[in-house]
Amino acid sequence: MNQLETLLAWSTMAFEAAVCGFVFARRAQRELPFFAAYTAVLFANSIGIWIVYRAFGFDSQMAYYWYWIALLLNAVARSLAIAELCWYKLHDYRGIWELVWRLLICVSMLFLFHAAFDTWGQPNRLAIYSLTLDRDLDIASVGILGVLLLIHNYYGLSLKPLQRTIAAGICFICAVDVIVDSTVQKLFTGYLFPLFAANRTPLWASLEPEIARVKDLFGTIHLLCFMAAMGIWCYALRRPLPAPSEGPTMLPAEVYREMSPAINMRLATFNNRLVELLKP
Amino acid sequence: MNDLIIVVPLVIALFAVFVLLLIPRRKSLKAGSGPFPFSHTDAIPTAKHYGYFPQIRRALSAEDSQYLLETAPPDVAKRALRERRAVARHFLQGLHEDFSNLARLGRVIAALSPEVSREQETERLILSLKFQLLYVLVWLRLSAGNLPLQQLEQLTGLVGRLATRMDAAMAQISALSADRLSSGLGV
Repeated sequence: MNQLETLLAWSTMAFEAAVCGFVFARRAQRELPFFAAYTAVLFANSIGIWIVYRAFGFDSQMAYYWYWIALLLNAVARSLAIAELCWYKLHDYRGIWELVWRLLICVSMLFLFHAAFDTWGQPNRLAIYSLTLDRDLDIASVGILGVLLLIHNYYGLSLKPLQRTIAAGICFICAVDVIVDSTVQKLFTGYLFPLFAANRTPLWASLEPEIARVKDLFGTIHLLCFMAAMGIWCYALRRPLPAPSEGPTMLPAEVYREMSPAINMRLATFNNRLVELLKP
Repeated sequence: MNDLIIVVPLVIALFAVFVLLLIPRRKSLKAGSGPFPFSHTDAIPTAKHYGYFPQIRRALSAEDSQYLLETAPPDVAKRALRERRAVARHFLQGLHEDFSNLARLGRVIAALSPEVSREQETERLILSLKFQLLYVLVWLRLSAGNLPLQQLEQLTGLVGRLATRMDAAMAQISALSADRLSSGLGV
């Protein structure tokens, strides 16, 4: 590892430790256990990777496998944290929750199938396989959070500031990762791919510094954005969390049964009138 | 670079939309902020713009337009008609706001209902989308000057009747909810 990589690794670990510390000091695990687990997994993985780098070397096979396994573990923990965000507020609104959980599952399955399909077709070299999977899981995260926010917005609900900040941080990390992963993947599978053929072996040595430079550049961007997201979470957790609020008072079921068809009928009439206006 | 050209702007756009959605809205419901009808009906005026229609109708009447065309110099008459169209567009925007409030009322009731019908919600979503499209078309025709202003009267009458019914319905909901709360509290 060069000086920059060492500095970034230590800074990332410091931010992860700070977030973890804030989460458990504020007892956020009681309200958001999967997010707390996600921050713990991030920190544990960083320590694990650091130990593997020290024990086996930065360019060792072990470090390579550990890195990609840790990446997938992070993705799983993040997915659970996102699922928790989906459940967190909406389950108070029983009718809406009954309606949208299936939609959220469908959207998630759609994105996961896309990820599996996209990854299946990739050549299993230079971590392109993992890179594609990670990229597609990031797209899925942004997409699911987007759908969740749209549902909240449509029904006039609002996330609490902490949950909103967590969602913003996750979305920021994922959006940056999608761009970085797509660029790196395109470099490896597009312009540089012919150079990795067996008959171009003599060229590999000369390519190595260029590839290392690309990896450094994108690794730096990724880690800086990652630290920015951690900073956002730390800022949100700087104050004690407010006491959990009571759920909303629900209306009797007959109100919806009576009012909803009536409202829809009137809205339809209104649209019909607009159509009449447009007739020549 | 085809993938990148698609993926990068798409992700940036998604993120921008996400950030916009995250901005807290003044009218959003807050869990535990109190019983529904008393706190939320205030934030959902069913209709307010249609109440100005008599004044608007007078200002946009066909007789006035005819009189202007016959007596005023052509450029003055043209400018006056253009300004009338602008007034009509503003009024149409107001009607749009009224419609949105009524549709939002439906969504608020759905959010606070223990049972929600998928068909009803889908229908309302489609109706709202259809309204947005129709609104744009009417707005464009109004701007182009080939939509008779008198037809707005029918539209306004409809919104007015709708708003009156919704106000009555809201009063019923408030009463129903208050009864329920009272009985729940053993009053």
